[in-house]
Amino acid sequence: MAAPVVMPKLGNTMESAIIMRWAKNVGDPVAEGDVLCEIETDKATMEVESTASGTLLARFFNEGDDVPVLLNIVAIGAPGEDVESLRPEGVGASSAPAPAEATPAAAQMQTTPLPVPASVVGNGGISPRAKNLAAQKQLDLSGLPGSGPHGRIIERDVHAALTGRPKVTPLAREMLASGGFVAPDQGTGARGRITSKDLQPAAATLPSLQEGDILEVIPVKGTRKIISQRMLASMQTTAQLTMNTFADARPLMAYRQRLKNSAEALGLRDVTINDLLMYVVARTLLSYPELNALYTDEQITLYRRVHLGFAVDTPRGLIVPVIRSASELTLKQQAQEARRLAAACQNGTVAPDDLNGGTFTVTNLGNLGIETFTPILNPPQVAILGVGNIHLKPVAVDGDVQFIQHIGLSLTINHQVVDGAPGARFLQALAANLAQLELMLAL
Amino acid sequence: MTKTITIDPADVRARSTLRGPEIPINAYDSDPKKEAAKYGTATLVRIYRDMVFIREFETMLDRIKKEGVYEGIEYNHKGPAHLSIGQEASAVGQSLNLTPDDFIFGSHRSHGEILAKGLSAIEQLSEDELMRIMETYMDGNPLRIVEKHIGAGDSLRDLAINYLLYGTLAEIFGREPGFNMGMGGSMHAFFPPFGVMPNNAIVGGSADIAVGSALYKRVNRKPGIVIANIGDASMGCGPVWEAMMFAAMDQYHTLWDDEIGGAPPILFNFMNNFYGMGGQPKGETMGFGVLARVGLGVNEDAMHAERVDGYNPLAVADAIERKKAILLEGHGPVLLDTITYRFAGHSPSDASTYRDKHEIDLWREVDSLVNYHEYLKDNSHATEDALEAFKTDITGRLVKVLSAAVSDNISPRIRPGNGDPIGAMMFSNQIVDRMEDRTPEVLIPKEESRYKTTQEKFRFGLDENGKPLSKMKCLTYAEALFEAMVHRFYEDPTMVAYGEENRDWGGAFGVYRGLTEMLPYHRLFNSPISEGAIAGTAVGYAISGGRVVAELMYCDFMGRAGDEIFNQMAKWQSMSAGVLRMPLVLRVSVGAKYGAQHSQDWTSICAHIPGLKVMFPATPYDAKGMLNLALHGTDPVVFFESQRLYTEPETLVAGGVPTEYYEVEMGEPAVRHEGTDLTIVTVGATLYRALEAAAELESKHGLSVEVIDARFINPLNYDKILQSVRKTGKLVLASDACERGSFMHTMASTISQLAFSYLDGPVAVVGARNWITPPAELEEDFFPQTAWIIDTIHERILPLPGHQPSTVQTDDELLRRYRCGI
Repeated sequence: MAAPVVMPKLGNTMESAIIMRWAKNVGDPVAEGDVLCEIETDKATMEVESTASGTLLARFFNEGDDVPVLLNIVAIGAPGEDVESLRPEGVGASSAPAPAEATPAAAQMQTTPLPVPASVVGNGGISPRAKNLAAQKQLDLSGLPGSGPHGRIIERDVHAALTGRPKVTPLAREMLASGGFVAPDQGTGARGRITSKDLQPAAATLPSLQEGDILEVIPVKGTRKIISQRMLASMQTTAQLTMNTFADARPLMAYRQRLKNSAEALGLRDVTINDLLMYVVARTLLSYPELNALYTDEQITLYRRVHLGFAVDTPRGLIVPVIRSASELTLKQQAQEARRLAAACQNGTVAPDDLNGGTFTVTNLGNLGIETFTPILNPPQVAILGVGNIHLKPVAVDGDVQFIQHIGLSLTINHQVVDGAPGARFLQALAANLAQLELMLAL
Repeated sequence: MTKTITIDPADVRARSTLRGPEIPINAYDSDPKKEAAKYGTATLVRIYRDMVFIREFETMLDRIKKEGVYEGIEYNHKGPAHLSIGQEASAVGQSLNLTPDDFIFGSHRSHGEILAKGLSAIEQLSEDELMRIMETYMDGNPLRIVEKHIGAGDSLRDLAINYLLYGTLAEIFGREPGFNMGMGGSMHAFFPPFGVMPNNAIVGGSADIAVGSALYKRVNRKPGIVIANIGDASMGCGPVWEAMMFAAMDQYHTLWDDEIGGAPPILFNFMNNFYGMGGQPKGETMGFGVLARVGLGVNEDAMHAERVDGYNPLAVADAIERKKAILLEGHGPVLLDTITYRFAGHSPSDASTYRDKHEIDLWREVDSLVNYHEYLKDNSHATEDALEAFKTDITGRLVKVLSAAVSDNISPRIRPGNGDPIGAMMFSNQIVDRMEDRTPEVLIPKEESRYKTTQEKFRFGLDENGKPLSKMKCLTYAEALFEAMVHRFYEDPTMVAYGEENRDWGGAFGVYRGLTEMLPYHRLFNSPISEGAIAGTAVGYAISGGRVVAELMYCDFMGRAGDEIFNQMAKWQSMSAGVLRMPLVLRVSVGAKYGAQHSQDWTSICAHIPGLKVMFPATPYDAKGMLNLALHGTDPVVFFESQRLYTEPETLVAGGVPTEYYEVEMGEPAVRHEGTDLTIVTVGATLYRALEAAAELESKHGLSVEVIDARFINPLNYDKILQSVRKTGKLVLASDACERGSFMHTMASTISQLAFSYLDGPVAVVGARNWITPPAELEEDFFPQTAWIIDTIHERILPLPGHQPSTVQTDDELLRRYRCGI
């Protein structure tokens, strides 16, 4: 009896994953624990290990398919075994060998309840009309069940899928129909209605340069695609306001020096300026809960604890792991957790759940010489702090000018729900707290 | 059928013996003195010249076909050449006493007849008339080429001879300056201004067409007679017999007004060369022995039949002169058995393996050119030198004609490239109120006829609440057709209508009820049960210049008129390159209840044949508006009607059937019911079942269905249908035609190509089963039903929630049927 291997659910919020690359071909021997394929969720890239041993009899999906979790992705067993019973509904035969005994369609029809007599056959393709409509509405048809004969995806299936999507204003619809624009998933109009303002010009055709001028063409997929969508959605669906200030960095640097010089046994030598900064951010936020909040579906949820996201630059792109309950950790605990998460991100082993649930994010470009910048919100969070480098700033001290080391702080807030003054007050408090770092450490 | 002729059993049961007239065989007595006195030397010598023209012309073609060269001019002629070497005297003798008003129709072997009749006409026409013809025919294009490249000759008649030779040869070679722009070629070349009417590549094909032409002359009081030059082997063809029956009807004498002048002036001239392909009608493939005997079987006059010696031009000329007089007096038809012999094979590819060389030698000994040559010398009409000079002169002339005709520069061919020139010839697309300007002959004013009754009926079949009115009080589909017929009968004096039950009965389905009282016999009459001749004579009538409505009752009977409809009616406008028009409407109906040979929808067969307009109205409004349209044009129309609908009033077109004249726009389908989810296109009475299906789909499944009545098979403007399919994405086509090969599949394929990206499923066709039509009680299993349409949608296009199919319309069932050939 052939056994299936399902698309694993690798996180609480994981609903589906894209199969990036198959590691085994049909006919290959497979042992339990062998890597079957590499998948990518909206947050990370992972490997799916086989949960059965035998011969790979069928792969039910192709590379690039977005597969819902818990659906069978392969069948493993002895050569010749029937795999059709394992094939997920609505999925066409791809690289699977022909079933040993095909059931006549007519017989199936009699035993299958109407109205969709043929959908069980599941190889009906997509009608040209449905395909065009989906393209026009930017609807991904993969995985969509077809209600036409033989499971063909027809126009009404696309309409059904579209009813869950936000409405489009007439002007926006006309603009979309013109073909020159693309719409986001959610609009800024009432109840997410997509308005003309939400539309973005469609990708312009590349200027026709000589072939040799092109260094490389990189398809946007995987993490990059997710980042691209998230960033654009962030800019399009929130009202972002960035404000900058500088904080006296001397306490930070002094304390960092002390940590570096501390006894190795204390395990504090690796604590970075950023760790210190995040520590102070988490503590400060406790007094400004309106910034430690999520804004969803017409409601703002304030959080008791701070779950602090921080941006990690990886070869695959930007990843934001979350330090759970950062506001309750000691400096050492927090620094260790940050180090663990960053390493996991770098080598691609971060668990999806570690990438979820942040209530505030810190992003640091200081080590790249940036003084201040405008961080982009990570919705539904309502604020993000950008950290710049430490540099000398002239300061008037007792009628004299002194050059004092400062650190750049850039706060972006969602002005939809956070007003400018509370944002500024938080920034002011943060700068003050950094200047009195030793007091914060007592909290 | 008429009440004026009583079938008295006392008469028909009385004992007696049938005796026929004697049939003269080669009765001509040659009397050189009388002949000299009658014709004069010049004409007698011209007979020889014309025979040499033919002999040399055909010899030239024989060389070109067999050797690829004539007098040093090389040419590869790809098309046919059925030569008449040996038959010259028959052709020249025939034309001697014909005037340009007399028409000859011919066969595949008629080059000689074209030249003989043409040369005869050139001799008789005034120079002014000749010049007018040459300057106006094809805008003078052939004339200019002749003048420039062949030479004007010594006189205008000389020029006309060059013109005749060139126009014929260029036509044989398929070139644009040919008499029919190369569209006819060797077997179909003709030139109406000289009375040379279409020659026909179908054996015996000219017989009924020529009868129709003679009918045109008789009905419209046109001068001249009509000759059908057909071969002895065509006596085996049904349509030839049908043509003779049609030509010999008693009614011309018993029922038609005396003033009309009797029977159509038709002469069936059998060019009896004793061979039909490889068979010999005498002694092998037929039993008449002497072909002229057949006249005895046709009418009391035995068709004035005679055997004539076709190897003596003067015997032939004498016979034609005598027979022409009989015909002009209205005592036709005439049958001539003109014996002759072809020295060449059937065609250049025929090695004559079926005949003995000795036989050919025997005929060469009596070769008319040799004998007549001797006759002229013996009777001092010409010297040897003078006669020999003809050959030299004619050869020289032919060299010039051939040089011009084979030159691609001088004589180009029609090439698609500048538009669609051949496509443009397929239809004349004219609107003509009356084919001739005179007062139409009618018996009573329209207002005093049944027309008044139909005009006063309810024009819409439903009352203001949508409830049906009494059908008896409403204008029906049949009466709507009647009104269209009446209109054109009272407009166009040339219009005639006939069929097997048209007069007195008023048509098997009552369409012509009332016309008998309105029209004289020669405009509305009953024909023999001769579907081939009904259609064929109508072709002849139309191309001669008259408007005609032929009627075949059931479209199943088109099989009996296959050649006439598909090869003649459909093709003569284009084979003549627009020289001829075909204002012919062939009314046929789609039956029901009468089983396998009376209940078929054959629109698809007509759709397949280029050159036919095909219409099928499904409502009284369209019945009148489309027949008006058909009767106003100059193109051949196969007009389908539905027997299911004859008694139905208008229920779909708001306002009903207008009392006044109107036309439906050519090729435009009608949207009968608007919808947005699915399109059903129908042809014919299936419309009503589609509307029922639409109503059920709407009430039970909430689908908004658009129903379109195509109305036209050809031409057909797809715009409206495509618009609908782009809107709905789903299409079913349905008609009562058998599903396999149905025109619905042509439409389905066209729409699939043109609206592919809009389709939400395959285009499905619902047709009648590929069976015989079973008994009336089982017809629901054969013709498309409402349930078939809905089940087809459910199985192939859009599964309907909660729907339980009652018929099997699955893909598998479709495959099974095809696998079994049913």
